[in-house]
Amino acid sequence: MKIESITESQSSTSCISPEALLLCSLVYALTVSMSDSFYALTLASIVPVLLLIRNRFILSSLVRLNAFNLIMIITLAMTWPSLTEGIMKGLTIALRVNMIYILFGTLIYPMGYARIFSALNSLNVPEKLRVLLLLTLRGIFILHERFSSALISLRLRAPNLHGLMKFRAFAYITASVLLQSSERSERMMRAIQCRGGFAGFIQTEHKRLRIHDVIVCLCFIFYSCSVIILNYA
Amino acid sequence: MHISEGVLSGTALIAGWAGTVTCTAIGLKKTDTSKIVRTALLSSAFFLASLVNIRIGPSSTHLSLLAPVGLILGWSSFPAMLVALFLQAILFHFGGLVVLGVNTFIMGIPAVLVHVVFGKMMRSENRIFSGIMAFIAGTLAVMTGACLAGVFLGLSDKNFLEAAKLLFYAHIPLALIEGAVTSFMIMFIRKTSPEFLS
Repeated sequence: MKIESITESQSSTSCISPEALLLCSLVYALTVSMSDSFYALTLASIVPVLLLIRNRFILSSLVRLNAFNLIMIITLAMTWPSLTEGIMKGLTIALRVNMIYILFGTLIYPMGYARIFSALNSLNVPEKLRVLLLLTLRGIFILHERFSSALISLRLRAPNLHGLMKFRAFAYITASVLLQSSERSERMMRAIQCRGGFAGFIQTEHKRLRIHDVIVCLCFIFYSCSVIILNYA
Repeated sequence: MHISEGVLSGTALIAGWAGTVTCTAIGLKKTDTSKIVRTALLSSAFFLASLVNIRIGPSSTHLSLLAPVGLILGWSSFPAMLVALFLQAILFHFGGLVVLGVNTFIMGIPAVLVHVVFGKMMRSENRIFSGIMAFIAGTLAVMTGACLAGVFLGLSDKNFLEAAKLLFYAHIPLALIEGAVTSFMIMFIRKTSPEFLS
């Protein structure tokens, strides 16, 4: 997977506020995770099926996901007390994984990190954690650039590293990149302090839940409650 | 070591989130504002380590850097890991948002554990002793993480315990590699910039 693939994209649900989408998805995902019965999972699968029809771009990643699920089903079939029960358990988990993945893959992941950060801001996540999130995202790009160039130079100088030498080279590269970046981070920290500390560091949009966001949330809560009731009935 | 969405029961998910919220609150309280950039840097390194594949024979694995993060950050490793795992979930779909609490707990506890047990030993006068202790810390961190993953799987369904045993054995080669990498990293940092460990 390439770090360059981190991009923002427009979602078809951009009219709904990100915090409403995040809350609804989490409530739904938690409900699905707690459901075991066939009827409850059938009811819960309505929303993912509708989302899948509208967003077919997710199909290719579902194939990859289910390749992993297949390995999981085989493992459970071998380790469960009964083969049939193991396969059934594996299939139930695979169904849940697919449903949650479709929901997050169509509603949350395409929002892009800027809207997700905005949602976290509106949901009153502690400021230290939000600053840490922003700085980590920034650090990923810096470290990735330095780490990639160090790895390229290592491959050019020693293309056939084996055994312990390989891990030693990897450890030295990681440690030296960390130390170099640490010096830079100290300068960055001083610059942030010169600009007035972390006051107003987060410049994300503050939105309040609008009437259609509230309706979406209520619908999702009602839907999730129906799934839970059916599961325990 | 990431547990996927849909595997764990409600009880295990709630237990994981309760542990993570408590430990992250402690971690945030202990994280000084001046150290937040360093915490973010280690969090980025933890994120990137999972993208670097290391070939072992016909298969490949990725490092987690649990022990180096724990030894350098201490309790701050909890918020650092929460943030890194959150970004992994939203950007690369590793793990997931519902199991984020459990995954953070599984990886945060070993990091804090190695800090408490081995933290002072890393600053020992004897370089070889520190290297050996770092190797043990690296190995122990991965094995503790695998054990905790097994505990959460067992909490969801007792029948998962056999699969959890398989998971534990599969982590042994990774634990040894992680131990070696931690040992070399700590020895390098001690030699070039010892204040980074303080």
